[in-house]
Amino acid sequence: MKMRLSLAIASVAILVVHGFVFYQQFFHKWENYQTSYFDQARTLSKTDAEREAFAARSPKIEQILVTQFGSERVDRCTTCHIASDDPRFKDAPHPYKTHPFSEALGDKQVDGKWERRHKFSDIGCTVCHDGQGRGLTEFYAHGEDEFWTEPMLGYVTQENWRPEFKDKLKGKEYMEANCAQCHTDKDFKQTPMVNKGRDLFIQKNCYGCHRIEGISNGTLGPDLTDVGKKWNLNYIYESIYDPRANSVTSFMPKFNLTDDEIKALAIFLKSRRGFNYAETTLDHYRATLNKSQAPAPPPSTTTTTTKPTPTTTPAATEGAKLGEQLIAERACVACHKLGDKDGGIAPDLSFEGLIKDEKWIKAHFKDPRALVPDSIMPTFAFTDGDFNAMTTYLAGLNKAPALGSPQETYQNLCMRCHGEKGDGHGQIAIYLDPYPRDFTNAGFMNSKTEDRFVNSIKNGVGGTSMPAWGKVLNDDQIKGVLAYIGQNFTKDARTEIKPRDVPEQNPVATSSESIARGEAIYLQRCTGCHGRKADGKGANSLDILPRPRNLLNWQFINNATDKRLFESILYGVQGTAMPPWIDYGLTKEDVGDLVNYVRSLNQSKKDFMAANLVAMCH
Amino acid sequence: MVYSMSENKQKNSFFSVIKDFPAAVWSSVFRHNLPHTDLGRSQTSFTNFFLHIHPVKVHKHTLKPWFTMGLGLISLFLFLILTVTGVLLMFYYVPSTTQAYDRMLDLRGSVAFGVFLRNMHRWSAHGMVAAVFLHMCRVFFTGSYKKPREFNWVIGVLLFLVTLFLSFTGYLLPWDQLAFWAITVGTAIAGYAPVVGDQMRFILLGDTTVGQEALLRFYVLHVAVLPLVAAGLIAIHFWRIRKDGGMSRPADADVIETNGAAPVETEAIPAAAPVMAMAAAGNGGIDFIEKRRYGVQGLVRGPFTKVGNVPDNSVYSYPNLLLAELFVFILTVLGVLVISFFFNAPLEEAVNVLHPPNPAKAPWYFLGLQEMVSYSAFWGGVGVPGIEVLILLLVPYIDRGQKGVGKWFAKERLLANTLFMTFVVVNIVLIIIGTFFRGQNWEFVSPF
Repeated sequence: MKMRLSLAIASVAILVVHGFVFYQQFFHKWENYQTSYFDQARTLSKTDAEREAFAARSPKIEQILVTQFGSERVDRCTTCHIASDDPRFKDAPHPYKTHPFSEALGDKQVDGKWERRHKFSDIGCTVCHDGQGRGLTEFYAHGEDEFWTEPMLGYVTQENWRPEFKDKLKGKEYMEANCAQCHTDKDFKQTPMVNKGRDLFIQKNCYGCHRIEGISNGTLGPDLTDVGKKWNLNYIYESIYDPRANSVTSFMPKFNLTDDEIKALAIFLKSRRGFNYAETTLDHYRATLNKSQAPAPPPSTTTTTTKPTPTTTPAATEGAKLGEQLIAERACVACHKLGDKDGGIAPDLSFEGLIKDEKWIKAHFKDPRALVPDSIMPTFAFTDGDFNAMTTYLAGLNKAPALGSPQETYQNLCMRCHGEKGDGHGQIAIYLDPYPRDFTNAGFMNSKTEDRFVNSIKNGVGGTSMPAWGKVLNDDQIKGVLAYIGQNFTKDARTEIKPRDVPEQNPVATSSESIARGEAIYLQRCTGCHGRKADGKGANSLDILPRPRNLLNWQFINNATDKRLFESILYGVQGTAMPPWIDYGLTKEDVGDLVNYVRSLNQSKKDFMAANLVAMCH
Repeated sequence: MVYSMSENKQKNSFFSVIKDFPAAVWSSVFRHNLPHTDLGRSQTSFTNFFLHIHPVKVHKHTLKPWFTMGLGLISLFLFLILTVTGVLLMFYYVPSTTQAYDRMLDLRGSVAFGVFLRNMHRWSAHGMVAAVFLHMCRVFFTGSYKKPREFNWVIGVLLFLVTLFLSFTGYLLPWDQLAFWAITVGTAIAGYAPVVGDQMRFILLGDTTVGQEALLRFYVLHVAVLPLVAAGLIAIHFWRIRKDGGMSRPADADVIETNGAAPVETEAIPAAAPVMAMAAAGNGGIDFIEKRRYGVQGLVRGPFTKVGNVPDNSVYSYPNLLLAELFVFILTVLGVLVISFFFNAPLEEAVNVLHPPNPAKAPWYFLGLQEMVSYSAFWGGVGVPGIEVLILLLVPYIDRGQKGVGKWFAKERLLANTLFMTFVVVNIVLIIIGTFFRGQNWEFVSPF
């Protein structure tokens, strides 16, 4: 009996739950909206026929199937916003309110009646507003659900968005991002924010690192072609505002942008959905065909202030002034250091005129990796005029800083790369390849002559970011810095370096046989660390610090003397993983072959250097 | 009543046909009225298709709620709920990467009861994984896998694996971020298996990554292959419960108190013999027919089909067992309904292949595995779980002592129970760590 009673109670409970479920599933808010609309419309009706028509209508889900914009869209918004096209409801509260008519949207008045330029029955709602067309409750339909990447643009901010952004992410102007889905002309008047964002994308050099199909080809940062489809506004805004907020490993600089500029960029990026609604799939296909045939159009800035007149070559001082302006506007200091501005990613430009010459700077602008093969600096597509002006300005930065003690010198010139502790982990070190030298590595520091270090400081090291400080520091100062480094970082007292039997010149003449022999030895002995491609990325390279030398760094190899290569191979590099190969049976002839092989890998680039007359240290 | 009908055959007038029509249909469908006699009760269990899986009589010990806690039944009922809601969901679902997610939105937005069906299906699936696991624990801790039930334990372990796999394959179908990355992680774990790992992963996915092929394969596995396998195994599982002598029970459960007299062992009483003898005697008439039928049931021998007024500790399945089952069924449905009413099944953003959530987590029942994988890919993902399953399968053949059967945490089984409890606790702790204590990059975080 007890069993039967509990059974009965449980059954009643089930019945009650069913009641709740049925109530939840059968009574919808949208039905109330619709009946209320029918009632109101009926009282507003002027003819009996109209009245009857409204009386006969019963609630049902309204939907618009939109097939013209790529994938099929289902918009059920008009289920609640049922009066959106009924002009009598223009002052009614939401959700009955009539969608406003406006000249700006292209709506026209014909005989006192408005006609829409964008007919809802053709294009639906979400194409302009975003939100979730399939949802039938406010929470889902307006995109308040945090998992929906497209909440209603400019109206809805989601719970998990950054609180301080919420006000900044509201406003009609955000909808321009969707206007630009179809209205892709560069200067479409109704989308000023998109246009501004596009200009900023070029002006602020975003294009140097990021790719957007049809606009830019940067490879350093993520491809932004369909960034608007992948991310919500909050994410895009945040990624510009604070690049490391979403990716701790990002080395994108925090640009000095105003709120308005970030907003314009965010709107522009939100409009990049990787697909142009105005094009059919076939159009799109044709467009990609054309693009692959024609060279990518050089990005051009539309604002006149930054565009030098191409016909007149500015005079030197004028050029320097323009260059200064260009460098300021193009956010070079987002990465580089210049004066008291420091982007914390790329080398110091403050004394550029003393450490590089005009030819070098210009050639480096045109192709950074021609001079520093592993540089991460993007290849910017400025005009020659711009490059000339910027080069003139940088080459004019030839005022040596006032330097006192060696310690001060180290802190001003060396610390940014080599680090406060001299261990090579300076502020910008992780962006440099090869990595800055670790002065605390006594094994290395005490195995090289002082002359070698003096030479490196004075003349720089080819193919690396180590500049030639010869015009900034005199010999005494250089020695002073070296002594400072020895005392404070290396610490171990220098020992007498044993004289080694190293030839000044490679005794083996280069020939195809010698190169073939060298290659055989290389494949046998060297690939584990230096890699089969000789790019320094062998299987063991990740376990080794300092990293194995990239033997395809032609600037380095071509500037290294035979003597240095011989010494490094035959006697090893102390304090690194490079062993003395003389102990492993390599003869001088073998090393000669190896040197010939390595040099042969970089031969073609030597011609390039000769052609560009780039003076490098020897 | 069935037999009295035959006497009316002569009066086959038109009116009597009309008059008897409802009764005729009724009696053709249901062979018996509600039974009031012991004979009727046994016939009900015996002749009804849906009830014949039950024994005619069931031991009182089996009906003790705290002995089984109804966990096996709960698993079965959840399976049935899943089948029904699953079939209904199939009407709306398309296993296509371009449509699946939109179909989910439609289910949530505009299909009547759509969101509720999905909730029921999702929560029942989670519940079934838990219930099956707890059922396994119950069987272990009561020592119920011992002879002659060894092989049923093995089938039970297989059913547990099938349940996991069913739940896992279903996880992908909504085609949202949660689904995509959980399956990416899960199949990557499968890829760590030695020798066949990569092939196995490829066969599962039909591709090198999770995509359209994987969606289709998981769908077919989920709605056709695995349910059939599960149903087959469930049938064998139940069949064997009967053939292995019903539920396990302690040796002293059959001792009957007879008014202070010395306990009598039922085994000693020859139950079937008189019945058979009666059937063999064969005197005619209705009396004989009833007795003969009675006798046929008596022929079905074994611990639970004893018929006759023999003093033992069994009661008629109808209605005792039936009511208990109904009660468990109603409680299960009630639980699923209430949970489905209050909690919506998660649906995250549509698949974004380029952006894994950090951390990307497998379904909760695999988070223990994932946690172990974070220490060692092979051992955590394949080695340890493989050994665990192997040991589970072999348990009844390793632990062969006959003592302590049918009692929770019997003293005689202290070692076995301790070992199994360790296994359970370790796995649960790993799952809890994986679920609550792992944040970005699988680093340890505090949920508090």
